[in-house]
Amino acid sequence: MFFLLLLAAVVRLRLRCFKEIPTGFQNAIEAAVEAFDNFAARTLGERFSYLFPWFFMAFAFILSSSLFSIVGLRAPTADWTTTAALAFATFVFMFFLGIRYRKGSYLRSFFEPHPIFFPMNLLGELAKPVALSFRLFGNVLSGTIILTLYYALTPYFVQLGPPALLHGFFDVLFGGLQTYIFVIISLMYIKIAADSNW
Amino acid sequence: MQEALFSTQAASAGRVFALDSQTLIGIAIQLVNAAILAVGLGYMLYNPVKDFMRKRTERIQAQMDEADAALAKANSLIAEYDAKLKSIGDERVKVLEAARLEAAEESKEIIAEAKKEAERIRERSLEAVAAYRRRLEEETRLYIIEAASLMAQQIVAQTIDDEAQTKLIEQALADLEDAQWH
Repeated sequence: MFFLLLLAAVVRLRLRCFKEIPTGFQNAIEAAVEAFDNFAARTLGERFSYLFPWFFMAFAFILSSSLFSIVGLRAPTADWTTTAALAFATFVFMFFLGIRYRKGSYLRSFFEPHPIFFPMNLLGELAKPVALSFRLFGNVLSGTIILTLYYALTPYFVQLGPPALLHGFFDVLFGGLQTYIFVIISLMYIKIAADSNW
Repeated sequence: MQEALFSTQAASAGRVFALDSQTLIGIAIQLVNAAILAVGLGYMLYNPVKDFMRKRTERIQAQMDEADAALAKANSLIAEYDAKLKSIGDERVKVLEAARLEAAEESKEIIAEAKKEAERIRERSLEAVAAYRRRLEEETRLYIIEAASLMAQQIVAQTIDDEAQTKLIEQALADLEDAQWH
């Protein structure tokens, strides 16, 4: 979190020096922001653009958490409270935007196709943030446990070299994949809840 | 050395997961942290960079629109000049044709004038020739009169008296004056 805030502060300070034709650092920042913006706009739609900074934060935070595991730091997402907080925020957005944009039809959807299905529909809605949080938590934790076990159970002479492969697999590949999955599923949940045409 | 090389780290014992008040407090804290991070990233990174890119896009779009307008203007100017060049070609043909007609007209006038002048010269020459001829005829007539007078004088002097001679001479002179010299 501190690293991301520091990066944001650096970007804010260097923004005055940004050029018309981006190079180096400016290019990387612009590419990241533009790629995420396009991705979020395609998935959620431009009318929800006020939510993009939140999901940009989620994306950057989860990805950087996984990448910081490479240097031996424990990923914050290996703690369920972190993933649960992010998933809970998604649930809150989903619920309030559903009511805001669909009003009665969103609440009626809990009673469809028959009022008897209300408990199941309610459970289904409540299960979404739980599944979202546990998916990320489980994946990151499994990678953390495997790496911790590797470091704990292997002799020192094999702890230099082979773990790079494991870090690349669990932290970079799985980390990137789980980040993408968490964000796109969150966006889809919100879109399904808020978009009456879905 | 061998023990140190083959020894392992002790696995750290920690809290992995539990559904209790500590978890709920942890979630609340993480939510607040996430909100702070989202506000920070949105305020300092995401929105300013997006704003910068949007403004740049608008600037570039404005420049492209300006370039398109300039291109359209240039194309219209090219079309206008092409039309002018074409009309200049047509006009050149018209001017040449007019000049040719004017030259032909002027040439006709010059030839007519020359013909008139030649006619005038010819008439003047004919008049001069006629005057010269008249003068020659007059001179010839006078010469012949003179010669005839001399001849008559000599003949008469040999054959007739003075009275008859004078009468004959006057008669001859009268005849000569009445004679036509053409």
